[in-house]
Amino acid sequence: MDVDQTTVAQEAVKQAPRGGLRRRRRLTAWLFMVPLLVINVLVILGPSVATIYYSLTDWAGIGPAEFVGLQNYRDLLADGDFWMAMWHNVIWTVLFLTVPIFMGLLGAFLLSQIKRFQMFFRIVYFVPYIVASVVNAALWQNILDPTRGIGSALASIGIPFLDGVAFFGSERLALPSVAFVNIWAWWGFVLLLFLTALQSVDHELYEAARMDGAGRWQQFLNVTLPGIRPTFVFVVLLSIINSLLVFDYVYIITRGGPAGASEVVGTLMWKEAFERFEAGYAAAMGLGLSFVSGLIVLIFVFLRRRGWEV
Amino acid sequence: MYTEISRRQFLARGGKAALGAGLAGSLLAGCGGGGGGGQVTYWSNLEGSGPQDYFNKNIEKPFEKANKGTDLKVTFQPPEEMDRIVRTALQGGEGPDVIMTPGPAYAQEYIDANLFAELDEYSDQYKWDDKLLGWAIDLGRYEDKLYSIPYQLQTMLLYYNKTLLEDKGMQPPKSRDELESMAEELQGEGITPFAAGIGDDPAAIEWFPTVFWNHYSGPDALYQALTGEIPFSDPVFVEAIELFNNYVQKGWFGGSREQFFSNGIDAVHVDLGDGNAAMNVEGSWFLAEIDGFFKDSGDDWDWAPLPPLRRGIPAELYELGLGSTISVNTRAQDADGAAAFIDYLNANKKRAAQWMAAVPSAFNAPLPFSESDFPASMDQRVARQLAALSEATGKGNFGYTAWTFWPSKSDVYIQDESQKVLTGDITAAEFCQGLDEQFAKDRKEGTVPKIIEPGTA
Repeated sequence: MDVDQTTVAQEAVKQAPRGGLRRRRRLTAWLFMVPLLVINVLVILGPSVATIYYSLTDWAGIGPAEFVGLQNYRDLLADGDFWMAMWHNVIWTVLFLTVPIFMGLLGAFLLSQIKRFQMFFRIVYFVPYIVASVVNAALWQNILDPTRGIGSALASIGIPFLDGVAFFGSERLALPSVAFVNIWAWWGFVLLLFLTALQSVDHELYEAARMDGAGRWQQFLNVTLPGIRPTFVFVVLLSIINSLLVFDYVYIITRGGPAGASEVVGTLMWKEAFERFEAGYAAAMGLGLSFVSGLIVLIFVFLRRRGWEV
Repeated sequence: MYTEISRRQFLARGGKAALGAGLAGSLLAGCGGGGGGGQVTYWSNLEGSGPQDYFNKNIEKPFEKANKGTDLKVTFQPPEEMDRIVRTALQGGEGPDVIMTPGPAYAQEYIDANLFAELDEYSDQYKWDDKLLGWAIDLGRYEDKLYSIPYQLQTMLLYYNKTLLEDKGMQPPKSRDELESMAEELQGEGITPFAAGIGDDPAAIEWFPTVFWNHYSGPDALYQALTGEIPFSDPVFVEAIELFNNYVQKGWFGGSREQFFSNGIDAVHVDLGDGNAAMNVEGSWFLAEIDGFFKDSGDDWDWAPLPPLRRGIPAELYELGLGSTISVNTRAQDADGAAAFIDYLNANKKRAAQWMAAVPSAFNAPLPFSESDFPASMDQRVARQLAALSEATGKGNFGYTAWTFWPSKSDVYIQDESQKVLTGDITAAEFCQGLDEQFAKDRKEGTVPKIIEPGTA
């Protein structure tokens, strides 16, 4: 055995316990993961598999389920109410991709310019997000009441244009009005995300831009937006998924009315499962919605792999 | 004060029923028991520590005292979640021994799933056929077997602000002509003829097709349609919906069509109490809380039967409804004890009358009452309503509520699609045609509850 061989052998001896240690560490890590895995299997994987199964059955929500194959999905494709509700989800998504993001960006930018009272405003804007949706909804139901709300209050001081307007009772206004209430609760959260992202943008970049003669708007476009792009994309993804899954504000305020004018897939699914006793069909509807959400996530994953900073 | 709630309000207010049960418990203390000597579980949707403590003290303990060896275990569930919790538990092989449902259509779903025990043996034992109203107990029969007992009887009434109408020199309308001339006059004076709104519960729109079909189309036509003899697309049903639509478009219900869709139920009640509106079409459950809405104004209120809207319809006609039912779980460990508990709650006229007088918004026993059955402490308007309902239905002058006699899918169709008539998305004829198609499917699936014939109560 020459010197080199001796060295290799000694290294191998040293490596052996290191490999064992690595394996032990991996094992320990997995052991720590086991409780989470078990919980996930129980509360996510199990119900998911059950939902897939029930979506293939005619099931009232109680009692035995009768296997019907893909019939629920065929019915879903031909269900006008479902597509109308889905269209409302699309409108909702468009609203959430524009209004709160614009307000959040603007608010974050303005807040980043001030030092005093910044925390106060952060709290004020964030509070609606942490208040229960039922409380927010009740608040706005009262404010927008056609006879006792802000419309009649303004009318009493000579500003009558909102008097008698039934925001939640009009087929034309119900969906955007409910979305407005939800946006009111949501945008403060978006603002905080953007504000945090803004604060992480290197200030030297702004100085460099200013030295190059960039104005405020050009700084925003060329420094701020690229600097917060990961947060921006995250907010966009979150807004889309939340919009597809929206349920609480619609259910509390209008229950999808009037005449289905604010019906979204979430509330329609609830009706199918708990009012029409069509739990199998509701499961198919839920999976249809999950499919769309999954597709959007996949698009983001695809873009990321193509080199987008998302 | 009177005690009754709707199926619609079952989840939100059903807990008060348990409070009523508590009072009944105290009244029934000392009665002989028929329990099987085991544990009986009962889920109550009663809210608040005060009412819950009251229930424990006045129903749980007295029942156990009256049924030696039976341990009544009461669990309080969130009212809004009650039905879903029960459903999930039953599907998982669990759930209480005594099951409360929001009405016969729900009960039938459970019966189809073999989750309710047959009660005929207990009916014989406790003589429920003799004690309870015949038509009411018939509603709990499926394929000639008894599975559920009505718990809360209801009907639709015309409430009115008595002070306001007296000031205007008006009486509650007794015909369509009177109703329409009153509505026009009131509206001309800036008063909404009928406080109405479905803002926080769009499904409550079913009250209105119920009322218009009964008081325009009539119970005979409805009986024929519900038993498949004539279609719901018959002009007599279409015209009734057109009339309802016409009244809404005129702003007679709620002030305007959009306000009808927007007004919440509290706003409706406030409008009636404050005199912003003159009348209100609502179920008998409103008797439980109507007083509170007249306190601020100091006005007086009363009720009247809904007027006939077409010739040939009885002047005094009450739609029959059941707000909830109670049954015994097939998996009950002590089915005898569970049946004893149902009998304890429901089947004694004197005790039930005292209970109904003492506890607002809890209970309306399916028993044959006359006004003299109720204690003097009971509000006379409430006693009059209960006696009138009992007497009129005894003569066969009854109609049908959508939430009791229509199968659940047809009922949901009425709730959803009748809104579209008001918005102009579909016509009344299209709505009735669609209902007929849905009802035909329900009939084929065997989900139509038992339909009792007018004149057979």
